[in-house]
Amino acid sequence: MRTLLLLLVLTPVLHAQAVLRSADGKVYWVEKPAPGEMFQVYAGEGDVPPVLGAFSAENGRLVFRPRFLLADEVRAIFRGVVTRFPALRAAAVSSTVVEAVYPTVDRLPENLLKFYVSFSGSMQRGEGWTRLQLLQADGKPVELPFLEIDQELWDPGNRRFTILFDPGRIKRGVLPLSEVGPALVVGRTYTLVVDAGWRDAAGAPLRAGYRKTFTVSEAERRPIEPSAWQMVTPRAGTRDPLTVEFGRPLDSALALRLITADVAGQARLRDGERRWEFVPKEPWTAGEHRLNIDVTLEDLAGNRVGRPFDVDVFNPVTRKITGETVVLPFRIESR
Amino acid sequence: MVKVFSSLCFTAALALAAPAVELKSAGPLTFGPNGTLFAGDSAAGRIIAFETNDTKPSKGGTVEIKGVNTKIAALLGTTADQILIADMAVNPISKNIYFSVARGRGPEAVPMILRADTAGNISEFALASAKQSSVSLTDVPAEGGRQRMEAITDLGFVEGKVVVAGLSDEDFASSLRSIPYPFEAAAKGAGIEIFHGAHGRFETNAPVRTFVPYTIKDKAYILAAYTCTPLVRIPVSDLKPGAKVKGTTIAELGNRNRPLDMIAYEKDGHAYILMANSSRGVMKLKGEGLDGYAPITAQTEKQGVPYETVETLKGVQQLDKYDATHGLTLSDEAGSLNVRTISLP
Repeated sequence: MRTLLLLLVLTPVLHAQAVLRSADGKVYWVEKPAPGEMFQVYAGEGDVPPVLGAFSAENGRLVFRPRFLLADEVRAIFRGVVTRFPALRAAAVSSTVVEAVYPTVDRLPENLLKFYVSFSGSMQRGEGWTRLQLLQADGKPVELPFLEIDQELWDPGNRRFTILFDPGRIKRGVLPLSEVGPALVVGRTYTLVVDAGWRDAAGAPLRAGYRKTFTVSEAERRPIEPSAWQMVTPRAGTRDPLTVEFGRPLDSALALRLITADVAGQARLRDGERRWEFVPKEPWTAGEHRLNIDVTLEDLAGNRVGRPFDVDVFNPVTRKITGETVVLPFRIESR
Repeated sequence: MVKVFSSLCFTAALALAAPAVELKSAGPLTFGPNGTLFAGDSAAGRIIAFETNDTKPSKGGTVEIKGVNTKIAALLGTTADQILIADMAVNPISKNIYFSVARGRGPEAVPMILRADTAGNISEFALASAKQSSVSLTDVPAEGGRQRMEAITDLGFVEGKVVVAGLSDEDFASSLRSIPYPFEAAAKGAGIEIFHGAHGRFETNAPVRTFVPYTIKDKAYILAAYTCTPLVRIPVSDLKPGAKVKGTTIAELGNRNRPLDMIAYEKDGHAYILMANSSRGVMKLKGEGLDGYAPITAQTEKQGVPYETVETLKGVQQLDKYDATHGLTLSDEAGSLNVRTISLP
């Protein structure tokens, strides 16, 4: 008996044995390997290293736990025999769409600073600049209109992508633009195209592409003046919305974050981001209330509260406001 | 009984224990003295110093790793299109090559640091088992904001300090922070204003994309490059907490371009700077007399420090110095990312 065991262990050519995988794909193993025998799991073809993970001996088995779940097709090699494992997941199905492109208005100033592309689900990083185009009315693309930042500007959930225009192609002041000219020209029509091939976090392309067509209007160079906003106040005891008309579209993401009321509630933007509406959680109470406006609020051209975009901050001659926030008081009347 | 085999388990087994610092993102890398690796983590707003203990001196030799993206993907059990390589740094002592990598491109992407030896074998650099210290930056853009991932755009080690380029949360957002190592506390950065000739205006909000420490007449400077490629000279001694510093623009190297990486070197008794670009190839700039160029203060196209484009280097995304006469490049060649040593031009 002992001789037989010894023979088994020492036999250089052992019988072919497949590597096994658990149903959840987390564990790979072979039964009763000879001492020192190993197997390897590979996720790629050609001259590639084996998959990262940990081997251990457990109850006579040689067990491998890959560091990451291997969702795609993999192969394992043991005693020269290749075992192939199919992908653990079905091919990803397209489900994500572009919910909106902000600004939502279709007349945009020639010194427009940015777009936001808002997706219904999480997206992948690293391919944004190959999936976006700005087309002229004749369908020809505007060459390199955007600032193609390697890091890509995503929100933490990878659901909102910020597109900044190349600052060298935004017309500002009276300075001529050399070499390439502005990306946007007053009176012309353009279409921002989001390619349907952009993949979501699951690896599936978008369910459909998206097109936003707009016409370019004169540059906006005035600072934001909250004192000029039109406010409609609701009655006490109701949960009717407080509405604020900006008189021009503001940056949607900043407007929702940087304008806050002194009571809890939910803000939304309407009328092409020209109007802010706020519904309180509890009915309005009569008396004095206040809106706080962070001065870093921007309009579509990057003009801020009390300060237009084109300012040399080393010599801030046009800067009037030094505080962090501007307060707009309002009064809720009793019924 | 569980018995551990193979070097592969070493890294994975240790990772089971809670790591001292968990990377939230893996960004710029640079080496300090004695094999200390500094990594920028924009998502966490933190710089981490790892003692790599990778200090066995090596002369290196010729390195060529073809399809490093495919190899990294295979190691991490995924496909090459799910791998993003943020930076590459050569350990000046061992000549081993370190990569900051994201496995995955969605919000669940896992940041890692990998190491390739001079033979091209790639393994994980086990963060948890490395002695480490970290410093949190005090003034990074808000978490969740779109500019947070630009909190740290490049790192360098100059005269005992880690210099960190990126954005702060201030109005004057372009920031260079100078943090003494070993770390104590991170002070605020200095806000940097430059005159950008191609844009015909002063700029304070655009971050430095890449920089190289550079000595001019025995004085330490940062040579910094920005999008649309102004090259700016900033004295390290000016980088005081909260200071507002005016950089001196000494070259405009062309519009519609992003500088990707820079190294400085000497050849045949002359100083040069090599700069990789997104759309203008690899530039070899004259590195002498950088204090002699008239500051650019008016709108201009290309001007300042002269350069030639190195036609033999195509698709270079990352550059590092390998030894006195060689550089290391990471180049995109028809979708395959290849790492190789090059003779410095």
